Formats: sequence, C-alpha cells, structure tokens
Amino acid sequence: MAASGIDYGWRLQGSPVRLCADRSLMADESAHQMEKALRQMSMEYYVLDRCMQCGICSSACPLGLLHDDEPFSPRTFIQRARLGLLNLSEDELWKCTHCGHCQMMCPYEIPFLEVMISLRNLVVEQGAGHVPVSIRSALASIASGGNPWRADAAQRVAWLQGLDIPLAACEPARKVHLFLGCLAGYDPRARRTAETAMRLLNLAGVPFEVLGADEVCCGDSVRRVGDLATFEQLKVTNRRAMLSKGVHTIYTLSPHCYESIQTRYEWEENRTVRVVPFLKLLFQWMADGAFVLADTPRARVTYHDPCFFSKHQGLVEEPRQILGRLPGLEYVEMEHHGKKSLCCGGGGGGFWRDVAKGQRLAEVRLAEALAKSADYVVTSCPYCLAMLEDASKGDDRYAKLEIMDICELVWKGVRP
Amino acid sequence: MNPTAVHKHTVMVVGGGVTGLGTALALDELGIETLILEKAPAMGGKVKDYDKIFPNFVSGRDIVNELIARVERAPGITFRTDTVISGLAETKAGYAVSMNNEQRVEVSAIVLASGFEVFDARLQEEYGYGVYPNVINGPELELYLDPHGPSGGRLLRPFDGKPARRVAIIFCVGSRSKRLGNPYCSRICCTYSTKQAIEIMERDPGASVTCFYMDIRTYGRGFEEMYQYAQDLGVKYIRGRVSECSVLPEGDIQVRAENTLLGRPVQGVFDLVSLSVGMMPCADAARLADQLCIERGKDGFFGGVDQYLAPHDTRREGIFLAGSVTGLKPIHDCLNEALSVAGRVAAYLNHHTG
Repeated sequence: MAASGIDYGWRLQGSPVRLCADRSLMADESAHQMEKALRQMSMEYYVLDRCMQCGICSSACPLGLLHDDEPFSPRTFIQRARLGLLNLSEDELWKCTHCGHCQMMCPYEIPFLEVMISLRNLVVEQGAGHVPVSIRSALASIASGGNPWRADAAQRVAWLQGLDIPLAACEPARKVHLFLGCLAGYDPRARRTAETAMRLLNLAGVPFEVLGADEVCCGDSVRRVGDLATFEQLKVTNRRAMLSKGVHTIYTLSPHCYESIQTRYEWEENRTVRVVPFLKLLFQWMADGAFVLADTPRARVTYHDPCFFSKHQGLVEEPRQILGRLPGLEYVEMEHHGKKSLCCGGGGGGFWRDVAKGQRLAEVRLAEALAKSADYVVTSCPYCLAMLEDASKGDDRYAKLEIMDICELVWKGVRP
Repeated sequence: MNPTAVHKHTVMVVGGGVTGLGTALALDELGIETLILEKAPAMGGKVKDYDKIFPNFVSGRDIVNELIARVERAPGITFRTDTVISGLAETKAGYAVSMNNEQRVEVSAIVLASGFEVFDARLQEEYGYGVYPNVINGPELELYLDPHGPSGGRLLRPFDGKPARRVAIIFCVGSRSKRLGNPYCSRICCTYSTKQAIEIMERDPGASVTCFYMDIRTYGRGFEEMYQYAQDLGVKYIRGRVSECSVLPEGDIQVRAENTLLGRPVQGVFDLVSLSVGMMPCADAARLADQLCIERGKDGFFGGVDQYLAPHDTRREGIFLAGSVTGLKPIHDCLNEALSVAGRVAAYLNHHTG
C-alpha cells in the first residue's frame, strides 16, 4: 500500500493515523512504467489492446461459480494488465485452469490463455513475481526427472512388467505406440485406466508399444504455467524418443498430452508421426463393432467433457456415441455439457495447486452430477478423473457415485 | 405510364422502403420520372412494421403509408413489387435493365436503396434463439408491442401465452463481434432497444426490464434524453455482455453475464428475453454488387466514392447509393439521404446528354 496515502491530519500520540485505506488506484508513472515493461517483455501483451471490457469472458469463466468474495475475472485481470496495475506476486496469476471458455466466447478473439502463459513466464523464468511452492516443486521435479513426483524414470513403465499384457514387437507398419503420460505412469488410479486401455488394445488385436523410460512429461501443464525453457527440454526429449523408436502412430491417454504433442511439438510439414487421442480409437472400435458387448451394468450415466477435448478440440460427439452403444445405460447430461462443460480445475497448473476444500471447481461439478442423480460420472482425461475423485472423497453425498474413464465403462460391457 | 418506353429521363430506384419511396418522391418533384423495384410483395420495407419509431414515438407505419399514398398519386412514379433486377447492360443513354418479370427498361440512372437485413440470432447459439420459445429478437418484440400486431399489443411469453413482466433485453447481438464476422457497431440498436424498454414500462409500470449492454450509444438528437427517460421509468441497465441464456423447467429464461461495473457475476430469471439484433448488409448485396459492378467495403456495405465529397456516387457512372445500403442509420437520416440523392441525381442528369 502506498505511503502516499492521504493524510487527513489525524494523530495518535503524534503519529499520523490512517483511518481508512486509500482505495483509489493511482494511474501514475509507476503504473505507466509497468505497462511499458509488460509491452516490452511479453509478446502477447499487445492482444489485450483489443479488449472492450465487455465481460463475456468473466461470465463464462468457471471460477465465477466459486463462492469467492472477489471471483477471478479475466476481464478485471486484463483491465489491470492494461493499466499497469497487475501484481505479479498475487495468487490471481495462478488461478486460471486454461479451460479456454473465455477465449472461445471472446467477441474480439483475444487469446487469453497465451497472455496468461506469457505473464506466468515472466514470473517463472525472469523472477518478476512469486511462484506458488507446489508449482515450483512440480516444475523442479519435471525438469530433473521428467515427472512431477520426484519419482524414478524407470518406474514410469516398470509397473507394466507385473501385468500379463504383451508388449510384442511386430512389423513397424502395424505397430502403434501408446503415450502414457505422467499420471498413467505413476498414479495408481490412472494406471488402472491405462491398464484397461491396454487390455482393449489386446482384445482388438492391435499390437502396441510404449516409449518406455525414455518418455518424459508431455509438457502441457509445464508450458501453461509459463516454464517455457523446461517445456523445450521435454519436447526435445520426447521427439527424440518417438523418432528413434520409429513411431508412426501414437495414441495419447490424456487430452493434455494430445494437445501438447500434436500442436506444440512443432512437427515438420512432412512429418511421419501421427498423434491421435485414444478416445478416437475407442470410438472407431465401437463404430466398427469390434467388440462383442454383453450387458453393461444398468446405471444412470453422465459424461464429463474434459475441457481439452471439448473446448480446445470440439471432440464432444464421439464419447456420447460410444456410450450410446453400451446396452443397459441411461444417459443424462449435466447442466454444463459439451463445449460448455464445467472445468474440473486440473488444467493450466491447477492440478499442482493446493486449493482448499469448499473452493474447488470439481466440487461444483460433482454437485451437477448429483443434481441429475447420476450413478456414474464418465470422463476421458486422467486429470479430470483425479480431480473429481479427490473432491468426492470423504463426502457422504458421493459415497455411491462412481467416477471412471470411458474405456473402463466399455471394458465392463465387454468383459463383465 | 408505360414503363418500358424510353423517356427522356427515367431513374430506377432499387428498393421500395422509406429511402426508395422518399427518393422517388423527391425526384418526382424535380420533374424526373422514376420506376421503383421492390423485391417483396408490398412496398414499405422494414419501417411499415414499426408501430413506434424513436425518438418521438410516432408511427413508422403511418409514415410509410403516407409515402406510399403520395407515390400512388404521383403520375411520374411507377412501381413494381415482387420484382428484382436480373441483368444490366450499358447503353448510350444509361442502362438497359432486365427484370425477373421478363420486362426490360431503359433508364438514365439507378439509385440503390435496398436497405439492410437483420442478423440471424440463431448464429449466436449460446442465446438459444430458435430453440427456447421465450427468447425472441428486437423485430419480434416490436410486433408484440404493436396494438395492431399478433398479440394486440400485449407482451406475452411465447412458451405459454402468459403475460411477460420480467423482460431482459440483450444488446449487441450479432454486432461488435469479430468472432461472428460482424465487428462493426450497428448504431441504432441501443436506441431502438431503449425505445422498446420505455414502451414496456409505460404500459406496465409493474414490469421489470433489464438491459444487458456493452456501451449505450444513444448518440442522436433526442436519443440521450430518451435514455434518461428510460432510466426514470425504472429500466435497469447492467453493463456486461451476456455469455449464455439457458431455459428453466417452466420456460423461464436464465441469463448470465458479468456486472462489469460491480465486478461480479450476475444471473437473472426472465419471462422474456429479447435479443437486440444488429443489422447487416441486405441479403442481395452480393448479387447487386455483381450485377451493377460496384464495390462493397470490407464490412459488406456499399460506400460512396468519397465519403465527404461524393457520398452518393459509386464508381459506376449513373449509379447512386442512398439509405441503409451504406450503413445503418436512423429513419430520418434515410429520408434525408432520399432528398440529397435526388438532388445529386438531378444534377447528374442535367449534365448528362443522351
């Protein structure tokens, strides 16, 4: 707070007393300097000039649904950025989960997420502010060991040994690869999903391989919290691993990995590597009738669209069609579905942030599932799955609610 | 009058709305014959459907009827409805125009007064127009407020016919949006929407009208005063562009926006939501530009060769522009342009031999 607050002349034992905080914003030289500095240091800052402060972004932003005194507002954030009134040490900078709803709605097509990355980069790489401890720790771990948990690189795939899933070699033309991602590599719950995906690959007669211990974090969340240098490292490492293994088609188990590898790895025009979400393969199998379907459990099912599939890629019909082919299910939509899906809070570094119970987007989402009396919440992203499961723990209202990946539900119908 | 005979000077006026009618009448006073082409079954364009126009709340319909009556009385003016241009060729004296009624006419000059189209609000899916019955658009609200209209002037919910007392008006629908391809401002929607808000409150003081806006561009003479009057009546203005409308079980519409002045999300439930749709170049603009070989601006509207010194002239000799074809403007400005283009055409014809 400025020492230049107004002195009303009140004194207590000779010292000036500030009766009230000076709430006015000073449109002064230091704010002007900050604005100039941002223009110089951030390439993306200029797109903010298009902002007309209409507020559609803030109305669309899921953070507005949380019961905060002052909910995060992209519009306010932009206003403060333009006037040089941002405080890069505030928690504000890390709240955005990169769901993309704001830029999907923006009438001026402002790429808000790229602006966030650019400003976070100033903090992460140039020390212009404060990085939350949990994020800093995840970044350090990824930079050195390729995963956010300081776990051993070999452990990423060592767990596959214990399973009876063949990782058979065969002619390169027929073989596909599976990009596990950090959660499927190390998280027990996500490993179960990955295992199911692999069993489906087996059942469909598709030979596959994984990249092995050479695989490192795809870098999506790393890039989105602004650590562009580490992202470069990860990109180079993964590209090398894929090219050296002669990968021609690689399926990702996470929409985050998909977007990162497909759109940010700077593949050449004539590249030989095809990156495809596993969901699309599952959709193809179901459309082709590749499996014999027994009865799935009779249940009310709803699908939670991951933002990185729905808002970022427009992939909303395929999962619904998959579920439509499973007998015995009653399908309901939650209030926010498809491209208007309600973010679980895991993207953009949200997975690494410590957010107190009662303040999580995932809780709002679970309430929507409850409102539709869903028995199962089905999704297709390991972050979503983890965030929703985490929010449901210890809450009696969700004791009967099962949260699962779509391939797990398909597996139930294939092998009861 | 035989419209296919070649007269010393016949001017073709494309469009039988207020601008076209006004142009023909002004040319008639100057002793110049005109032929009005109107693509619809009746003349009068958009204004014939407006029961009240801003800022004075006089009847648009009455003005149009007066113009049509004068046109019918004027021996020098002929008109054809359900008629459009099908082809155009240059002649020594001007143009030979073929029409879809298989007739052909030779004219010395053409005035393009083909007006505008309203934005199709179904293109802004998040508002539910065309899906939720209680979401309507500005022109439809106009019909509801018209005592001679389908509901006899009573504001009713389309869903169940019950009275609509909680009304939301959403501004800037289909305007000021790069995303939807209409980055410009449609200029008159703030004013027409405020007019409608006033009409609702005047008839039903117990009603609640909330306008969700980005800016209030009530810029003309009498417009700002109208805005202040609206506020006096209790019309609420919330600054924030609506992100979505959703439907509730009884057909009520829930509207979500950010109240940017309070910095808080805002949500409200309404009986009726009216979308203040913006305006776009007329549907035939591309076809007309092609047939007449004249250019349009990036926004799709036509423009005079020099906005200041030759606002009515196109690059093609003898082809002129008037009214909303060059951009949205209030009705009295359209009628102004009808007078000014007539002067310009008369001056042109004076110098033109043939």
